[in-house]
Amino acid sequence: MLDLDMSPYAAFVWPAWGISALVLGALTARAAIAGRRWKRDLDRLEGAEPRPQAARSAVGPKETGPRP
Amino acid sequence: MFGLSNPQRFMAFTGPLAPVLWAAAGVLLAVGAWLSFSVPADYQQGDTVRIMFVHVPAAVWGLGAYGALGVSSFFALVFRHALADAAARAAALPGAALTGLALVTGSLWGQPMWGTWWVWDARLTSVLVLFLFYLGYMALRASIDDEQKAARAAAVLGLVGLVNLPIVKFSVDWWNTLHQPASFLSPGSSGLDPAYVPAFLTMLAAYGVLFSALWLSAIRTEVRRRRVVTLRARRRWRPECSTWT
Repeated sequence: MLDLDMSPYAAFVWPAWGISALVLGALTARAAIAGRRWKRDLDRLEGAEPRPQAARSAVGPKETGPRP
Repeated sequence: MFGLSNPQRFMAFTGPLAPVLWAAAGVLLAVGAWLSFSVPADYQQGDTVRIMFVHVPAAVWGLGAYGALGVSSFFALVFRHALADAAARAAALPGAALTGLALVTGSLWGQPMWGTWWVWDARLTSVLVLFLFYLGYMALRASIDDEQKAARAAAVLGLVGLVNLPIVKFSVDWWNTLHQPASFLSPGSSGLDPAYVPAFLTMLAAYGVLFSALWLSAIRTEVRRRRVVTLRARRRWRPECSTWT
């Protein structure tokens, strides 16, 4: 049976649990957001990355000198 | 096992593992919270005993996270292994957050039981030092632009901080402290009341699994971030791809 009446210590018990929930929730959200962001960036870069053979045939011989 | 030190194999192996860890952490946290508010109040501490279910797991895994950071730093420094460095870096933020939570929830427990929010005794001070090591580690990494130099300097700091772990653990035995000595799985102690053991162990497992999920996700994100940085750098240097920069 749940007992949610914390008196006379409610001012200590609930903040302890509340801060814990807040911090753990923030860590989880941050992990999800950062994970999605870098996955999206990587997918975009790898999707745009030409295969070495295709790149060579598309642009011709490799340039040797510095670009103007 | 050593095959997993290859980032590609690591990503392939841990891909299905991460959602399982997240789901397990969610279930364990829900069950642990329910158990924590179902147990009777302590005859001496009253309802403040429920703070134990968030305070002790945060402290244990804050300490464990630094162990992970230190061991990873060792492999990164000695073997120059990029994945070990990513693992060390990934453990820092969750570890710092858990240690910070242990300090704050401990303070909220200390005020009604000890009559003070803070006291400079060995356990509290050594945990504060642990928290400062985490902050120092993250600040050091952020302050050096060259990632390799930052990784090496941070790994040295990470290794130095390992010295603090036994001090945190045994501080209550080596010095007279206001903080109580270990009361669970500690020979000679009165032990934890059996009524609290299921809730305590469930919350301990929940925090452990959650830390594992956070750590694993952070390592995977770090591997992807480094790959993105490499690809962007490669594009800048490849003339045939210069139109993309």
